[in-house]
Amino acid sequence: MQSFSGKDKTNEAVVETVLLENYDRYYRLAYSYVKNEADAADIVQNGAYKAIRGSVSLRNAEYAGTWIYRIMLNEIFRFCKKKGPQVVSLDEIPVEQGKEDIYEDIDLKEALDSLNAEDKAVIQLRFFEDKPLNEIAEILGENLSTVKSRLYRGLRKLRIQLAVEEL
Amino acid sequence: MSKKGIEGLKREYEEVRMSESQVNALKKTIERAKQDNRNKNRIRLWRMTGTAVAAALLVFIILPNTSANVAYAMAELPFIGNVVKVVTFRDYSYESEQQIAEIDVPKLDVSETDGEYGIATAEAPATLALKDTTDELNAEIEELTEQIIREFEEFVQKESGVKEVMISHETLVTPEPYFTLRLVHYEAAADGAEYVYYYTIDMSTGERVKLADLFNENADYIGIISAEIIRQMRERMATDEKVSYWLDEEMSDWNFKEITDETQFYINENNNIVISFNEGDVAPMYMGVVTFEIPAEILAEIRK
Repeated sequence: MQSFSGKDKTNEAVVETVLLENYDRYYRLAYSYVKNEADAADIVQNGAYKAIRGSVSLRNAEYAGTWIYRIMLNEIFRFCKKKGPQVVSLDEIPVEQGKEDIYEDIDLKEALDSLNAEDKAVIQLRFFEDKPLNEIAEILGENLSTVKSRLYRGLRKLRIQLAVEEL
Repeated sequence: MSKKGIEGLKREYEEVRMSESQVNALKKTIERAKQDNRNKNRIRLWRMTGTAVAAALLVFIILPNTSANVAYAMAELPFIGNVVKVVTFRDYSYESEQQIAEIDVPKLDVSETDGEYGIATAEAPATLALKDTTDELNAEIEELTEQIIREFEEFVQKESGVKEVMISHETLVTPEPYFTLRLVHYEAAADGAEYVYYYTIDMSTGERVKLADLFNENADYIGIISAEIIRQMRERMATDEKVSYWLDEEMSDWNFKEITDETQFYINENNNIVISFNEGDVAPMYMGVVTFEIPAEILAEIRK
């Protein structure tokens, strides 16, 4: 009994620490899908609640970081399924003044948003969060080769769509 | 895609941050989850220490009831001459500035009457069985409530925080021949939590009613009822965003898979079986006690 409750406390504390150190990362990821601050914050809160509540079942505290990402991503995917595809009107896309290459960013951003949810997650975790592919595979609960093919397909689509825009 | 493009996108991505109020809300949620963890642990502890507590209770029981002021109250349910009366076994109350306990411990009392039936029932098999059953239930109720009282007293001695504990009971309106006592345990510290327990007796036999007793032998009532509960969970989650059950969670240990013979239930006035889960059993604590009424038609072939 003693040792069990001891383990739960430690896991809970580890999970809490990871949450408090990384909430902006989860929030960004959520925001990149839902495009709405309140919804993104809700997702992070729900994920955090589940992570703390489930910390008892986490067998190895070392995986807390990966595991929490997985919970958050599942929350995001679930939210997206419920809401259906997000439609962002052109007026809502902030158009910054100035340099030309900003336009390229917007094209790229639109291309990224047009990817399916999992492919987009792979691209973002790889390039924005610098996560190694094997960790991304664990976060998504998929095997490495699936993640690799998502990455290549994602990159290909980004390039192809950009090429079409450039015509 | 140029390298420069993705770098720019990354910079834009990193500009997104939670606001201060969002961070505060998040921290509150984390605290709430931790509190819920502790409540859940406490419940598990009760279940495990149950038998150890029973021995200590023997001494305890005699003390409060030697006085004659046992209050006869609440419902009386006559059936083939037997009556189960719910009396107050122990009335425990405590009040300080921060801590309140209102604990009304019920006791089931059998009084066999030969009243309108004109038959002596004292020695009838159903009466004897009923006495055994009420003894068993009384012991269970005492065990549960004394444990709660003891924890409250320990809390009062050791800590100075806010705490409120209430235990109340009522007799449900049930179809014949059933008698059901509902015991409600409400506990509030930082968060409120409610736990409900049902005790049902078949008055025609005097036996306690377990879920299995309601079905034909070898019927897969657990599978059928569990599938129906999962169906209702999904339906409720689909129609109301605020509703959430542990069903498709990452930590699969928590997911609801099936009921057990220990799952709480009662039979409502429409003669339908209602399954009741306590806070945190199948859903986040904020969902409270959740119940599922199982429609008669899906049990029609297996219900006795």
